[in-house]
This record gives sequence, structure tokens and C-alpha cells, in this order.
Amino acid sequence: MATAITQDEISAVFPTVADMIADALGCDLAEVKPDASLIEDLGAESIDFLDMVFRLERAFKVKIPRGKIVENARGTLSEGEFEQNGVITEAGMTQLKAYLSEVPDARFKTPMKVKEIPRLFTPETFCKLVISAQRETKAAG
Amino acid sequence: MADSAFHFAAFSFVDRITEFVPGQRARGVYAVPADIAAFPACLVAEAVGQLAAWVSMEAVAFRGRPVAALAGETRFLAPVAPGDTLTLAADIEHCDDEAVSYAGWAEVRGGRVIELVDCFGPLLPVAEFDAPEALAARLAMLRGPGASPGRFGGIAAFATASGAADATSRSATIEVPQAAPFFADHFPRRPVFPATLLLDAAIGQALALAAALPGWPQGAAPQVTRMTRVKVRSFTPPGARIEFAARLQDRTADGATIALEARGEDLKVVATARVDVAAGDNRR
Repeated sequence: MATAITQDEISAVFPTVADMIADALGCDLAEVKPDASLIEDLGAESIDFLDMVFRLERAFKVKIPRGKIVENARGTLSEGEFEQNGVITEAGMTQLKAYLSEVPDARFKTPMKVKEIPRLFTPETFCKLVISAQRETKAAG
Repeated sequence: MADSAFHFAAFSFVDRITEFVPGQRARGVYAVPADIAAFPACLVAEAVGQLAAWVSMEAVAFRGRPVAALAGETRFLAPVAPGDTLTLAADIEHCDDEAVSYAGWAEVRGGRVIELVDCFGPLLPVAEFDAPEALAARLAMLRGPGASPGRFGGIAAFATASGAADATSRSATIEVPQAAPFFADHFPRRPVFPATLLLDAAIGQALALAAALPGWPQGAAPQVTRMTRVKVRSFTPPGARIEFAARLQDRTADGATIALEARGEDLKVVATARVDVAAGDNRR
């Protein structure tokens, strides 16, 4: 079982992640709060997510496969346990809320589709993504 | 229905692939026809991108084709003239069914004319754009005897209307034609206005803005030396009206940085980029 990501780890990568996000979205750095919704608050579109991941891969020298956030969010649940016909299960929702702990509860819809998960993403989500990738890179030696 | 006479002709900029390492890199050549009026630097970038596209399409067995999305930096190092032969290089950094990232360059007579760094394109289902078997056959030909050169007939000027302009910004609107030979090649099953032509039009606005800035050395015209942060957000269909905005971001003693934005009729941003301009020879 992977060790939980700590606030210290998040704080360590946040400045670089925030810079990348501000650059990719063309917004002020001050707007990039850890819990801001990238889509709702900062106007990110799908191409921006690709841009951010591409920039983070280069900045942190890690590989972040597409769809990695959802995979990380799923944790130990199998795909079938996490979602049924594209809708997140109750167990999946509990897991998702635990992974995206920075996201206010009110932003989670019930029921919620897997394809709606990106609407929840925040700068902190991307910090966690980077930290997971760093850990995997380190583990791979 | 696309005119097949223009397929692999009206907007294809690789004549022959001289080296091909599957999934990793390719080298190729393209002879710029001598009888066209000009070959803008954006089309040189297109040629490099097309070479990278061949490697990436082959790497995923022609299930997907990359489309222009992000280009971190393009360096315009020297002009290319009709009659020149480009030596092309594409080095794939990563490619899978979802996306390709690559770098590349082009040379003329051993001198570097363009360099592309940190380019990224998502792969979309190839069958939406072209016949996979036709693409596979074309690649086999490019890797073998090569294609007949000289089939590119140039790009006709687009209807352009100038908009507001002041000392630090200017705008213009272009009408993307409903029909043009390049749509049959880009792409036969889904015509899309090439992003490189969109960027070339945007660069035109940047140069017009730069030319109006005071302080250039006497007799020197500003030229684009670098384009960064290219982000293409959506496809531009035939017949679209695109509004370009060029805004001065920074001015130094010997150059300027200009932010570019292209919007569609629905006011949604289609593409953004920044260009650096400097006084010099004609690099565009």
C-alpha cells in the first residue's frame, strides 16, 4: 500500500506546479490556489490539461501517463469496483473523495460520471500527480 | 468529397524518408517547388511535423494520427526559398495511442533553417481523417522510391480585413476559404484549416505590429526569430472567420515580444502563441 502523500510533500512541489499552471492557462499566479477548480475557476480546457501534464513532465523529469489521475484516485479498487457503466460507485466515490481531499464536498455530484472527474481537479491534484510520479520514478531506480 | 488529385500533393511536405527508426526518429527530404511565390517558415515547421507524424502513425499501426496542439519553441534561423531542398529530422520523445511528443529541425545546404522543441500532439482516430491503408501505402512509398516532387502549388492569399490598431496592438480578420486544394490533403475525410497556416497569418499580424514600432535600425525590418507557447485549442473548419489579435508584450533595444491570439466567430480562442521579433534578414 502506498504511503499517503503529506502536506509537506505538496508544499514542496506546489510553487513549481502553480507556476506551470499559471503559464499554461495564462492566468495570474495569485489565482492559482491549491483548491481552485481548474475548470470552473481558472477556465482550463482539455488541451490545457495536456499542456500542464506536458510541462510538469519536463519540469520534474517524470513520466505522467494520460489518465493517471483517475488511476491514482481509484487506488486499490478495481475498475469494476470504482465505476459501473461510467458512473462512479459508492465505494468509488468514497475513494475519490479521500484522494481529492482538498476538493470541497459540495463539488462532488451524486451520481457522478467518470468523465466528470476532471471538473474536480485542482492545482493540488496536480501536485499529488507529480509526487506519485516522482515516487514511481524513484522506485524504478 | 475531397479531390484525390490533391491528396498527398496540396499540403504534403515530405518527398522521401531517408532514415526511419520505428517509434524513434526519421530523416527525410522535401524539395520546395521552384515555381511558387514563397515558402513561409510555418510550412517548414509543417514539414518537420509531418515527418514526426509519419513516425508516430506507424508506431501505432495507423490507428491514430497526431494533430497540432502544443509547440514549446520554434526557432526560425534562416529563410527558405522556392527551389531549396529541405533536409528534415524528427526525433520522437514519446509516442503511444494517445499522444506524441517530439523535437525536430530542417536544414538547407547543411545550414539549420528551423528548430522545433517540445512539440506535443494528441493522436486522434486516423479513420476520421484519412484512409489508414492509403497512409500506410504512402509511407511505404516515402520510405522506398519517394514521391514525385514539385506537386505543391503554393497557398493562395486569404481574404483579410484589418481591424483596430494602436501603438501596442492590432487586429485583423481572415476568411478561411470554403474550398482550397489543401483541404483535400488536410484532410481527405475531414477538411481542417492547417494550424500552421493559421499561425502564419497570426505572424503576419505580429510583423505588421512590429513594423509600426519605432526604434528599428534604419533600413532593417523586424523579422520573427522565435515562436513560443503555441497552443492550438480547436480545429478551424473551411469557411470559418478568424479574428487575430497581436499585442505587444515586451520591447527591448533590439527586439520585441508579441502575444498572438486567434478567435473564431463564437469568440472562443482557437490558438495562442508568442513571437519574438528582431531586426534582421527575412526569416519568415
